[in-house]
Amino acid sequence: MKAVEVFELTKIYTTGFGKQTVRALNNFSIEVEDETIYGLLGPNGAGKTTLVKILLGITNLSTGSAKILGQNVSDYTIRKETGYLPENHRFPPYLSAEEVLKFVAESNGINPKSINSKIDELLEMVNMTKWKKAKVKTYSKGMMQRLGLAQSLINDPKLVFLDEPTDGVDPIGRKEIRDILARLKAEGKTIFINSHLLSEVELISDKVAILNKGNLIKEGSVDELTTSKEIYKLSFDGNVLESDIIDISSKYHLESQSENIFTAKLENSEQLNELIDALRKKKILIKSLLPQKNTLEDMFISLINESDKEVKNG
Amino acid sequence: MDNILVLAKYTFKEALSRKIFLTFFAVSSLVLFVFLYMAVTIENSAIFEFFRANDNATGISERIAEAVQGGITFYLFAGGLFLSIFSVSSFIPNMLEKGMIDVLLSKPVSRAQIIIGKFLGGTVIVYANIIYVVVGFWLIVGLKLDTWNFYFLLTSFAITFTFMVLYAMIILTGILTKSSILAMIISYLIFFILSPLLAAKDNIIGLFESSTLEVILNFFYYIVPQTAELAQITNYISTGTFEFDTLPIFVSFLFMILNLAAAIFIFNKKDY
Ligand SMILES: Nc1ncnc2c1ncn2[C@@H]1O[C@H](COP(=O)(O)OP(=O)(O)OP(=O)(O)O)[C@@H](O)[C@H]1O
Ligand SMILES: [Mg+2]
Repeated sequence: MKAVEVFELTKIYTTGFGKQTVRALNNFSIEVEDETIYGLLGPNGAGKTTLVKILLGITNLSTGSAKILGQNVSDYTIRKETGYLPENHRFPPYLSAEEVLKFVAESNGINPKSINSKIDELLEMVNMTKWKKAKVKTYSKGMMQRLGLAQSLINDPKLVFLDEPTDGVDPIGRKEIRDILARLKAEGKTIFINSHLLSEVELISDKVAILNKGNLIKEGSVDELTTSKEIYKLSFDGNVLESDIIDISSKYHLESQSENIFTAKLENSEQLNELIDALRKKKILIKSLLPQKNTLEDMFISLINESDKEVKNG
Repeated sequence: MDNILVLAKYTFKEALSRKIFLTFFAVSSLVLFVFLYMAVTIENSAIFEFFRANDNATGISERIAEAVQGGITFYLFAGGLFLSIFSVSSFIPNMLEKGMIDVLLSKPVSRAQIIIGKFLGGTVIVYANIIYVVVGFWLIVGLKLDTWNFYFLLTSFAITFTFMVLYAMIILTGILTKSSILAMIISYLIFFILSPLLAAKDNIIGLFESSTLEVILNFFYYIVPQTAELAQITNYISTGTFEFDTLPIFVSFLFMILNLAAAIFIFNKKDY
């Protein structure tokens, strides 16, 4: 069973008495495997929140189908197995952390008396034990976010949706949240994260999808997306001049980055080995040879730019 | 069913923590206290004199109690509903606030359950207050005149029923507009102006002798909840008279069901 299956999903919002329409999701299909962390990336307004809201029955879909944990999203009982941290969430300001957790537990059909130890455990996990009895209205943004994370886990969900979980959280807090997520994954939960903090998603996600203006423009593992197979970075022992390798540089697209660092653009591993042989013949000492890594951010920016250009041109 | 009860319970809790319940309770207590003060300070003989009665006439206490309670019923009906409408009009708009509704809707509860839970929660809050005032008055009058009119206690149901009819409309308005002020204005409009006006439709029609007006007024008469008639019925009930036209009860009940159904239907269609 897949944790999430979305097939040819389209969402059109109508606003202003049905006059204006916004195509928030356009023929969108993804699958999320069980027990993985899935990162959904995209610029503001890409449709990330819309997708999560559809999966949780908060927003209705226009066409296509969406399932979570094997059930259609219209079946509200399946949400016993899900947790959700909404973006910009609010809790009744007159409740305390403990009361919020009890309320959320109760609306999940859990007897609030039976979960005192679970509440303590969760508050401990998000470092909010001190604030257990304090009213929500006295919390800072980061504290709200921590409480939001705790409430999303109160029913021990199989599948958790986190919309910008580290929004407003300081760097130490963010690291804590990443550790929590890794632990949840180890416990067998599936985690679906919306974010535009790419460096963070990069650190924890098994798979990422990139969304722009409602279109899925790329999906794959972080490695797949950030490794460009054909570009290698070579560093040599001692200075190598461009003139030394002028005869092979055009064949292997060698480009000097600095005195002893070059990049090579190669078609396959056959070519890679030929290049090594050629360099060895010249008695050049190779110190290291690495496939070039882009950060997810580099890749993200170039993909979004490309996709925006395509939209403009046609 | 469990879901509905949980939602009703939290509606109740919300009223408690927002001090809505407390305000309601304090106003009720104040009114009861003033009445109690009057009961203690005014001599029985003065009351009998006021009603120009002979002390020895049999059943006179009962008749005075009935008259006093009839007067109270009127104020209780108007005052009780005024306060109740005020108390509940913000429930739905608060629930729909961005960030709050997301958490609620992501829970394993259906939207119909949410509406019904809010409806029942609000009704319980109002009933608790109304019964408090009604029993309070009943005890004061009973102790003072040593006569116990049990029919008076039934008015708590009649008032709460009228409240439920208007509350259904408040919920629908809240879902449609997210505005507590508008919900309040519409209820007060119906309660204090429209329904009393329509209750007197025959007089108005007689005055203008226009058949189009007659059609229009009759049309509205059957779609606007008949709270003025319900007030009349409440008065009858308080004296143990049960021979009244029950049509207003059915029309109002239908209005309530239709409003709730429409609220659920529209809530289901909405994106949050
Ligand atoms: N309730 C709504 N009614 C109308 N349009 C909406 C509604 N919610 C979202 N939209 C539109 O849908 C598009 C996608 O919005 P969405 O909130 O899903 O983006 P997002 O990727 O989560 O953005 P962000 O990173 O800023 O949170 C936007 O153009 C937005 O204006
Ligand atoms: Mg968003």
